[in-house]
Amino acid sequence: MTRPLWPYSLAGLILFFGLWQGAVSAGLVSALVLPSPLEVIARIWEMSTRPFAGFLLQEHLLSSFLRFLGGFALAALIGVPVGLMMGRFRLFEEIFTPLFESYRYVAPLAWVPFAALWFGTGIGGPIMVIFTGAFAPCVVNAYRGASMVEQHLIEAAQTHGAGEFRIAREVLLPGALPSIVAGLRVAAGLGWQSLIGAELIVVSSGIGYVMVQGQSNLSPPTVMAAMVMIGLVGLAIDYALRFAETRVTAKWGAA
Amino acid sequence: MSEIRFEAVTKSFPRGGSAFTAIDGVDFHVRDKEFISVVGPSGCGKTTLMRMVAGLETPSSGAVRVEGVVVRGPGPDRAVVFQQFALFPWKTVRENIVFGMRSKRASRAERDAAVARYLKLMKMEGTEDSYPHQLSGGMQQRVAIARSYALDPGVLLMDEPFGALDAQTRTIMQEELVRLSRVNPRTVVFITHSVEEAVYLADRVVVMGRNPGRIREVIDVAPVREAENWTDAAIDDVMEMPSFTHLRGQVWRLLREEMGDDK
Amino acid sequence: MRLQAYGKRIQCVRGGKFVLQAARGQAAWGRAAFDRRTTIGIATIASLIVLWFLLTSATGIVDPNRFPSPPQFVAALVQIATTGYAGGTLIEQVLQSLRLVASGFAVAVAVGVPLGFAMGYDRRIEAFVNPVFLLLRPIPPLAWIPLAIVWLGLSDASKILVIFVAAFVPSVINTFTGVRNVDRTLIEAGRVHGANRRRMIGEVYLPGALPMIFTGLRLSLQASWTTLVAAELVGAFLGLGRVLSTAYRDINTAMILVAMVTIAIAGALSTMLLAAVERRAIRWRAP
Repeated sequence: MTRPLWPYSLAGLILFFGLWQGAVSAGLVSALVLPSPLEVIARIWEMSTRPFAGFLLQEHLLSSFLRFLGGFALAALIGVPVGLMMGRFRLFEEIFTPLFESYRYVAPLAWVPFAALWFGTGIGGPIMVIFTGAFAPCVVNAYRGASMVEQHLIEAAQTHGAGEFRIAREVLLPGALPSIVAGLRVAAGLGWQSLIGAELIVVSSGIGYVMVQGQSNLSPPTVMAAMVMIGLVGLAIDYALRFAETRVTAKWGAA
Repeated sequence: MSEIRFEAVTKSFPRGGSAFTAIDGVDFHVRDKEFISVVGPSGCGKTTLMRMVAGLETPSSGAVRVEGVVVRGPGPDRAVVFQQFALFPWKTVRENIVFGMRSKRASRAERDAAVARYLKLMKMEGTEDSYPHQLSGGMQQRVAIARSYALDPGVLLMDEPFGALDAQTRTIMQEELVRLSRVNPRTVVFITHSVEEAVYLADRVVVMGRNPGRIREVIDVAPVREAENWTDAAIDDVMEMPSFTHLRGQVWRLLREEMGDDK
Repeated sequence: MRLQAYGKRIQCVRGGKFVLQAARGQAAWGRAAFDRRTTIGIATIASLIVLWFLLTSATGIVDPNRFPSPPQFVAALVQIATTGYAGGTLIEQVLQSLRLVASGFAVAVAVGVPLGFAMGYDRRIEAFVNPVFLLLRPIPPLAWIPLAIVWLGLSDASKILVIFVAAFVPSVINTFTGVRNVDRTLIEAGRVHGANRRRMIGEVYLPGALPMIFTGLRLSLQASWTTLVAAELVGAFLGLGRVLSTAYRDINTAMILVAMVTIAIAGALSTMLLAAVERRAIRWRAP
């Protein structure tokens, strides 16, 4: 009989939170450096009922999330078609690959200065940074998905009189969809993280800005409260896309 | 004396809350240096039976004994040849062949001698430093067989070793195995789907039935083989001998009765 | 059969280019195809540079405060390489960033790979570590920057900490997956041929997981660079991110571009170095 494993999981969690809470309670680390888990939760409650840095916690989160949606949608709407065309047309692939490969090595956050100079630090700049973070996985996975669509399916469509647009919509896109959705998940994670980076650097609103404020007030509870919320929103985004992924995979087979 | 004894062996697996009986009360004795083929419809538990001898599964009740000792886990006295070859892709032919020998702390000279000997026997000289992916399927399986023989085990367990090979390679491998067991006799348990292969190779053919898995009948081939002198004839000729076709028909009828449940 | 499938799976992990060729069934890279590829690649980059020149120096359509012209770019490059910018010459800035990336990456790999390996090898260790890991994982590495600054200030240590956090996760996950996905038959083959635990780990699990471990290292390295840039942008006294933020404040677009190009080249070179190590370490792989 195999032994159940949950006691180990429980032990791990107890050890983690126990050490954390214990270290704080025993005064091993100053509460100014590391707040206890309970303090962090209390701080989240406080910030969601009283404005901090001008707004309530949920309002900061919402403004970050809307920026994220904008940049992510833009990356998907441009990246996926580009990837599909790379998979479909050899010349396009050969032209785009060197550009894309050079682009890929530029860390997304390195675009922050240009993004701020070109589009400002309000909406446009952050959206561009999210875009640069999320663009690559959209392209790569659409391209990979389109390349894995079997050639004879495309030929079958051609011999039945389908034009390029119909091939794209009725053969390439559905065939590549599982791979695309998997790419969107990766893109969302990177985009969300790029936004946090942008907000830390140049933007003066949003959840990243809350962290900057917490940092300059030397308030670890504020910083950690924001970290928890960033993690939760990131998790929610990932769950939504994972749901989409299982639906698509169930319908069309594995990526 | 590498004999195998199955004593009232039963094996069940948990499946969706209830237990599924793969093997039900198998009693059987494999004699030392005997070549046993096991055939049966899929799901009859023949692979499970072999894995219990290997020590990769434990019986739910009853016992498997090798040389009188109850099997409790894998051991170098019982080597396995897998259907998927299971060569280590990151090891060369030489390193694969000596893998088991190193467990037994064989000396450098012994290892070199074994590699040379088996590659010669398999007509594969010069491939010592190749990696598995550079070899054909038949050559890979030869290396896997050499790896098991080099371990010098009392018992050799083969789980459809030629199942993944094409028809011609398969025939060549069957002849080579006969040759090998003649110069190097071992106690062999050989699982197969192919009735021809089972009858051609074995001293005795065990026909298994399913639902639950059990031994249906055991057919003695060795006396016929010796009387008709199969070992000296080419495999194609053997398969046309009336003595062979008679035995093959006998096994086939038993199998067909077992598969009749499907209809 | 299984071995071939194994090779295919690795190729899939290795990125689009390989998959495309496999999918189209092109016989490797024919020499003609390679030359065509290179030619088109060079032509693309060349036309881009010409276009850049046309839009900036030649016509002045693009404002230099938005994007620099090629001569401005070269001038900025010369300036930072000789007299220096934002507290150091180009080589000093690069070495500073490289040092931080190397330290954070090395610590992350040194801790992450063994941890992932242990989790893959023993389900009890996985059960012990996983819930905490799952709890911390959704927090993007960049969100650790403010906390690292509160704890360690704008020191090198605070950046190494953040790079560690970023590089740690892919190392753990991919090593874990690699160990868990070692072909079961190979594990059984090792056991029935009498390998003890030490040999099983060293000769079966480790080489079996190695391709995935390298995938993890590649992702870790990429994450290290991304995080370094962000951490240095948020606050640093030296390094490529510092060059970027100073150039941004000065609205020196030429220097921004120099920093971006340098970051890309440094990232590309370190990735190539890792790929060379990988090729040496996994010579047995089917082409």
